[in-house]
Amino acid sequence: MRHNMKHQKSIIAALVVILLGMSSMAEAAKGNWKKGRIYYRMVCTDCHAKEAGGKISPSEKTKAEWLDYFEKNIHGPQDAPTKYTASYFVSHEYRESIKDTNRAAKKLLKIPEEQLLEDVKAFLVHTAKDSDQPTSCE
Amino acid sequence: MNLLCVQCVIEVMSSLLRVILVFAAFTGTAYAISTADHTKFKELQENFKSGPEVTRACIKCHTEAAKQLHKTKHWTWEFLNPDNKQRLGKRNILNNFCITPQSNFAHCAACHIGYGWIDESFDFAAEENVDCLVCHDTTGSYRKAGDNGGLPRETVDLTYVAQNVSSTSRDTCGACHFYGGGGNGVKHGDMDDSLAVPERELDVHMDAVGEDFTCATCHKHVEHDIAGSRYAPEAAHSEDYHVHRKVFEEEDNAHCRACHGNRPHKKADKSRLNNHAKKIACQTCHVPRIARGGVATRMTWDWSTAGQLDETGEPLKKHVDGNLVYHGKRGSFTYAEDSEPEYIWFNGEVRYVLLNERVALNEDGYVEINSFAGSADDGKSRIWPVKVFRGVQPYDPIMGTMVVPHTTGLDEDAYWRGFDWEKAITAGMLSAGQPFSGKVDFIKTQMSWPINHMVAPAEDAVGCDECHIKNGRLKDIDGIYIPSRDASQKLDLAGWAIALLTLVGVVMHGLGRIVSYLWSKRSCPSE
Repeated sequence: MRHNMKHQKSIIAALVVILLGMSSMAEAAKGNWKKGRIYYRMVCTDCHAKEAGGKISPSEKTKAEWLDYFEKNIHGPQDAPTKYTASYFVSHEYRESIKDTNRAAKKLLKIPEEQLLEDVKAFLVHTAKDSDQPTSCE
Repeated sequence: MNLLCVQCVIEVMSSLLRVILVFAAFTGTAYAISTADHTKFKELQENFKSGPEVTRACIKCHTEAAKQLHKTKHWTWEFLNPDNKQRLGKRNILNNFCITPQSNFAHCAACHIGYGWIDESFDFAAEENVDCLVCHDTTGSYRKAGDNGGLPRETVDLTYVAQNVSSTSRDTCGACHFYGGGGNGVKHGDMDDSLAVPERELDVHMDAVGEDFTCATCHKHVEHDIAGSRYAPEAAHSEDYHVHRKVFEEEDNAHCRACHGNRPHKKADKSRLNNHAKKIACQTCHVPRIARGGVATRMTWDWSTAGQLDETGEPLKKHVDGNLVYHGKRGSFTYAEDSEPEYIWFNGEVRYVLLNERVALNEDGYVEINSFAGSADDGKSRIWPVKVFRGVQPYDPIMGTMVVPHTTGLDEDAYWRGFDWEKAITAGMLSAGQPFSGKVDFIKTQMSWPINHMVAPAEDAVGCDECHIKNGRLKDIDGIYIPSRDASQKLDLAGWAIALLTLVGVVMHGLGRIVSYLWSKRSCPSE
């Protein structure tokens, strides 16, 4: 009986921790739009401007379109759409590969991939075409 | 089985705490920015329906904040120039952009740190009229609406914003200061929204992944009164001030020397540049060009062409290269991007043409809305970079004074509705309590804006050969001798002749000594 009670307490503690963890994940999922803005402008936009046919303004898509883009997780390029996932470009591997030439990638190197993805997502949703504050590339 | 016994609860909480600590250590708090979590404050657990409701909650804890703000320029929009006693501030001066907020407060107060300034009945003494959120929002979702005296948009979640406040940021200051003159980068030339996330090349201090200065890093405040003035700035600093001061002195503004001192160039090979600092403002070399962030700044504004409508009866709009070059409500514009500023001697004395003054044209045919004093020999001037903004705007040709046009609003007198200058100016001057003859003409005006921001890295500063050359950047600066710029051909010829003769003399002397030595050797063989 005593053993059962101890077992139950452990289960309760574990459940609460899981719930707490989910809550923290939900919090993390909100993302920090300011960190996301730095990464988007200094990494994403920098590359697109130099190598991928020009900048993409956050206000070119609606919130739903941006969320759909991240849901499908297909980045392109156009001639090979499935070559890269969107999440690859926030990965440690990618940041590591450009850190010597991109100061923002170096600065944000230690942020977990999932967190950085949420940050970028938060910025794009925050400034999408149908947001209260659509923004241009600048 | 009693799951709620005290011992069980303690054990569960204990387990919980251990796991939380491990979890927290694992995940870290990457974005912690404040020592206070406002989401936990009971005063903010309300469904706020208006800005003043939020402010009443804020000042329950921050008891002195609104009182402090009531004394500042950001609140009063007034400034008494201590030198010439001119009463300035946004509510008193004119400019050649949107001209003046007078009679247009409902619209222009979108950049006032208050709620509800529509007309002279606004209660400046009410603490709940202070808008805390416009400066302390971190969510980026707080926006004031237009044409309602600075109230927030109805779509803003005031509770969410109120629970997520923190220190000011480049975004909050920039919400107004980046957009001065009616649009992004329009007014200043050294401030636009590219400074929200600047690269090092754009601003070495604000570099978002480097020093990451906010505006407040330099523009320190004491009791919400923020250092930095373009009404009575200091152009030269005889002493080394320091930013981290305890007492706010009006002359103790935000400036480079507060941190860098009066001998800012420390490396031995650069030390001669410290002599330049006695005559040249830091900005002259270290802000090499204006509008460097990819956003064009407006350079001219001609109100006299306003009034054209398109085929649907709406104000005509024309864009070139993404820039608005004509708007039926406002007239015609030109822009510049990544361009050299103009340079003047400036000693910090600024004088404005106010509403009740008869205007006079300068030698170029412009009314100087603000004039910057300075000269090479007054002992307190430095050579400064400025953006000179030129316009054409309405004035009263009979009274010889500048005028207040009532531009915004839904009434028929408003220029943006009726497109009738006489009506708009009659209403505006009545509101301002100024006489108006009823006649309207247009006059050329100019304003100078000192350049302070977008400080480039040292390696991108203005090079020696950009000034030490004929027709260089400082070609119009008088009263000072600049080598190479001011070289005289005859003086150069004389100098070179002297140098050549000296060289010839040295060579001849040397040869003489050699010949003499050899001769003495031959005539006096060693014994």
